[in-house]
Amino acid sequence: MSGDYLWDRSGADPEVARLEGLLGGLAHDAPLAPLPPRRDRRRALIVGAGVVVVAAAVAIAVWATRGPRAPAPDGCGAGAAGFAFTSRGGPARCGGVATAGGVLPVGVALETPPDVTAEVTVADIGALTLAGGSELTLAATGADQHRLRLAHGRLSARVTAPPRLFVVDTPAATAIDLGCAYDLAVLTDGRTQLTVTSGVVELAAGARLAHVTRGHTVTTVAGRGPGTPVAVGASPAFAALVARVDGGDASALAPLVAAAGAGDTLTLWNLLANGAAAERPAILARLDALFPRPEWLLADDLVAGKPDAIAGLRDVLTSGVWLAPDAPPSPPSPDANPGVWR
Amino acid sequence: MAASVVDATIAELVVAAQAGNHAAFTTLYARFHRAVHAVALARVGAADAADVVQDVFARAWTRLGSVREPAAFAGWLMTMARHRAIDRARARGGGDAPAQEVAVAPAPTAEAAAALRAIRALPEAYRETLLMRLVEGLSGPEIAERTGLTPESVRVNLHRGMKLLRDRLAPPATKGGTP
Repeated sequence: MSGDYLWDRSGADPEVARLEGLLGGLAHDAPLAPLPPRRDRRRALIVGAGVVVVAAAVAIAVWATRGPRAPAPDGCGAGAAGFAFTSRGGPARCGGVATAGGVLPVGVALETPPDVTAEVTVADIGALTLAGGSELTLAATGADQHRLRLAHGRLSARVTAPPRLFVVDTPAATAIDLGCAYDLAVLTDGRTQLTVTSGVVELAAGARLAHVTRGHTVTTVAGRGPGTPVAVGASPAFAALVARVDGGDASALAPLVAAAGAGDTLTLWNLLANGAAAERPAILARLDALFPRPEWLLADDLVAGKPDAIAGLRDVLTSGVWLAPDAPPSPPSPDANPGVWR
Repeated sequence: MAASVVDATIAELVVAAQAGNHAAFTTLYARFHRAVHAVALARVGAADAADVVQDVFARAWTRLGSVREPAAFAGWLMTMARHRAIDRARARGGGDAPAQEVAVAPAPTAEAAAALRAIRALPEAYRETLLMRLVEGLSGPEIAERTGLTPESVRVNLHRGMKLLRDRLAPPATKGGTP
């Protein structure tokens, strides 16, 4: 029989056709409902400018009639341009001034005391929670990129935006959002730890990249480049082997590769992508044993480190990650695709 | 821009819709509403899924200006659909197997409901793709276009997902009997 009915309806597959008949009645067929009005940005700007002018006049009048006082928040008031925030559990410090909320402008740091958190709105693409004891600076915000700098502490971000629009720098690496939710921490020893709870994040430092998918965590040491992602549920022994390899202990690679299981394919892929040419055959052999590689991905190309082949293997291993919801990782099904998630 | 919205590419439609062209946005709806519905149906019941579709497109209309790269529209829309469906599922109590499934019209047969449950129990990588194919009637190439996935990834998802589904729907006596 020729054709592939499941793919393009060529040929025949009675069981697929039967399921289509069974389930086709649930297909969506409703027309588009009336659309809400869009905000008229020009009008909003004009109105906003008027409000700002009036507010400024009032502020000047108040300032002119008041005596000496403590300085006002440095640009963190509601009229500033930037990311809106509110603190919980007490006041945060914006630009060095204690405040329960306002707007974080570009170039200004938001600091949370140990027992205070802050909710920060990331333009119109998402939000983040800044944990207690953290310092976050808005480096830039614009049509092409929203960029923050986490000096220390921890944040949890959830973003719905095109890839690479949301970026967070830490002292050790840069987290580039590819459509996801994640936790990012700058540890007390300066290492950066990233745990992805939805979608994909690219962690970059220098020329080295780590591709971190849902349910994986990666630790980066400043000056060394991103480490290798490890499944959140990986055994401590396996994680320790990964840490040794990341630390430059080449003797740990062989036992790591041998110990890798079905849930560790993304770890192996990152080692394949970032490793030396001499290391790739053994890594690929283990990957092949764990995951049925499509014929069109040639072993020679992968061992040679051809970027298209490496990226193609990543896409196959993570196929569905772009579709994966942002629910917490679930335990593996016994017959789950071994190449997807632990 | 193509001569009409019917002939336009997705990127052209996105650019036109960003400029306020309703016809372009309606055409985007026509191309994507079934894929969005499948994404929702993977997480909520059919009645809620229909609401999620309208909610997603209403939000897309008001937020389309944030899409800087028109070619990324498909991924952006699917991500939004996922988030809205998850929010709806959480509002319903967080269940991943919608209880009201059998109450929707047209009411699925017991066999259809069983098939739907079996699809929902599949690994996440396959769930949405199979729903797009078997419920919404999209072909593999259409799914790739609607989701932004590569055709190779869609093909992998379809075939592996279908293999698992066949195994799970097979009568107990035949399970494990195929090579």
